[in-house]
Amino acid sequence: MDKKSEKELVEAVDETLRILIADDNDSDRLILKTIVRKEGHTVYTACDGQEAIDAFKEQSPDLILLDALMPNVDGFEAARVITALAGDNLVPIIFLTSLKDAASLADCLAAGGHDFLSKPYNRIILKAKIQAFARMRRLHETVQDQRDKIIKHHDHLIHEQEVAKVVFDNIAHSGCVDAPNIKHLLSPMAVFNGDLVLAARKPNGGMFVFLGDFTGHGLPAAIGAMPVSEIFYGMAQKGFSLQDILREINNKLKRILPVGVFCCTCLVDFSFRNETAEFWLGGLPDVFVYRKDGTLENFGSQNLPLGVLGGDKFSTETRVIPMTKGDRFYMWSDGIFEEVNEKDEMFAEEGVRQAFEDNKDPEKFFDELIEAVAEYTNHAEQDDDHTIVEASMVAEEDLGEYFSERDSRSLIGGPPDWAMSYELRPLTLKEFNPLPLLTHLLMEVPGLRPHSGKIYTILAELYSNALEHGVLGLKSELKASPTGFAEYYGQRVSRLDELDVGSVTFHLDHKPWENGGRLTIRVQDTGPGFDHGDKDDNHKTAGYSGRGIPLINTMCESVRYLGNGNQVEVVFVWSFDG
Amino acid sequence: MSGNPEDHFDMESLEDLKDIMEEDFQMLLDTFIADSEAKVEEIGNVISGGDAEALRQVAHSIKGSSGNVCATSLSEIARQLEAMGKDGDISGAPEVYEALKVEFAVTKDILLNKI
Repeated sequence: MDKKSEKELVEAVDETLRILIADDNDSDRLILKTIVRKEGHTVYTACDGQEAIDAFKEQSPDLILLDALMPNVDGFEAARVITALAGDNLVPIIFLTSLKDAASLADCLAAGGHDFLSKPYNRIILKAKIQAFARMRRLHETVQDQRDKIIKHHDHLIHEQEVAKVVFDNIAHSGCVDAPNIKHLLSPMAVFNGDLVLAARKPNGGMFVFLGDFTGHGLPAAIGAMPVSEIFYGMAQKGFSLQDILREINNKLKRILPVGVFCCTCLVDFSFRNETAEFWLGGLPDVFVYRKDGTLENFGSQNLPLGVLGGDKFSTETRVIPMTKGDRFYMWSDGIFEEVNEKDEMFAEEGVRQAFEDNKDPEKFFDELIEAVAEYTNHAEQDDDHTIVEASMVAEEDLGEYFSERDSRSLIGGPPDWAMSYELRPLTLKEFNPLPLLTHLLMEVPGLRPHSGKIYTILAELYSNALEHGVLGLKSELKASPTGFAEYYGQRVSRLDELDVGSVTFHLDHKPWENGGRLTIRVQDTGPGFDHGDKDDNHKTAGYSGRGIPLINTMCESVRYLGNGNQVEVVFVWSFDG
Repeated sequence: MSGNPEDHFDMESLEDLKDIMEEDFQMLLDTFIADSEAKVEEIGNVISGGDAEALRQVAHSIKGSSGNVCATSLSEIARQLEAMGKDGDISGAPEVYEALKVEFAVTKDILLNKI
């Protein structure tokens, strides 16, 4: 309470109170009534306990002077009834008594009395007591008022948070976190959660899974999740790489978060075609890979959390690990590691390892782990948000078709009839990935949106063929063996580094076509080309490098090599009928 | 038994009470006398009836109200009766009751004629 209201409280003793006097003795009642009235208060009188109760209901007085011994209902009983009727309100009751023994006086207080006044009445003491109780009553009202305000504010706050959470969940937990290969638990301490789980299908068929743990809990922690989600989903959908997304999120968080607030993160890029997982881990506990054969590998964090380091110092170096179908990838916030048992010992990595050891059926591990944590803490309240994500390597087909979130929009509108050329010269080829930009551009045609995955795959294949085989002159045969694979990428880096002539040019052409549209993509490089004969799809290679063209064939109306083999043209047709 | 007010009343408090009550003082006296007359009679009845608890209650009431009008002697006699009622032994009560009746008559006389 502040000084001012304390002062008001003391001054308030001069206020006029409404006082009920209950005494069966006429002369006593008359004396009291006269004294109290002379102090400036309003007086109601009652001749016994029942009358006192009725008068209380009718007048709700501020203070009651109650004779202890009265016929019908006595003072003790009346005090109990009145106290019950008053509920949360404080109605001070002063017992009037000529009883002197300690037990009788104690009875007065036990019955709900706040004080007693002995007969014969002493005017000065009576006045002092009335003032003291007026002050107490005022204080009680202030406390109740503040309590009610706090309750109201709290309800209001919770309501606001719940509304905001709906918005937040729509942004932060959309995407494909419910995909069949993902299990996740987000277990918040408050309405809002400092932990964040995001997952998005990539246009090329892969999947990004993101786990973030912001410092702190509740709203301040959750607020940082909004830009992270926006960037993640926006960029993942446009085909940006893991590194691009990380860098963008890091820059954003570094810019907006106060010092000391950051986001421990694991971002994984699952390639279902290559059966690999590429991940970046910053500030979170070790991630685990639980192989189908029962073996366990763990990888520690090598980076600081997102939002700590500025642009130049931030490293997007990742690890790539092979994962075969049925292998499971686990990431978690430190909440579960830091859960403690009754002896204040942490669950820690040993707890997690024990859970793996106890597991018989990998399919059930996720639930077993959650149960193990709950048992460890003896189902006590959790101390921190804890979040667990399991992502399994599966066949791409098991995930169903990739549809970007724009699918539901109308196919009408956008530019139907246009063409453009886009030439990428050496400095650009070294630094820049044109695929997100081109995909984005093509998605301006609403009819192409449901096909964004295919379009991206086509562009990606044609571009890497043009750059690597055309401009850089790399031999795809190299990729047939594991050592050759490394050699191939070694050469790719060094040749790209030395590149000073050459270019790749995209020619895009879209026309209305029958009941839809027809997109022609021609990619031309400055390389020597190759003898493609007259066949449409004769790019015969083995291993990884062989996948591109046959795959594109299945997606397109036609694939043709032109000129001396340094141009390839694919035609993609879409219709409103889907 | 003398009719000297000082022997039966706390005169200082009585003067205070008079000041407080002002024009209501006479009404207070009338009320007290009417109330006490009834109660004194009632005490006679409950003693004849041998009801110790009733004696305790009525005597308690007279003790309180006489105390409030500063009639200290009357209040003291009522206190003795109340104690007997509380103890459950009212064999000595008729004797004290006689004293109560006399004291009430004197008290009443003083209040009506000498204050």
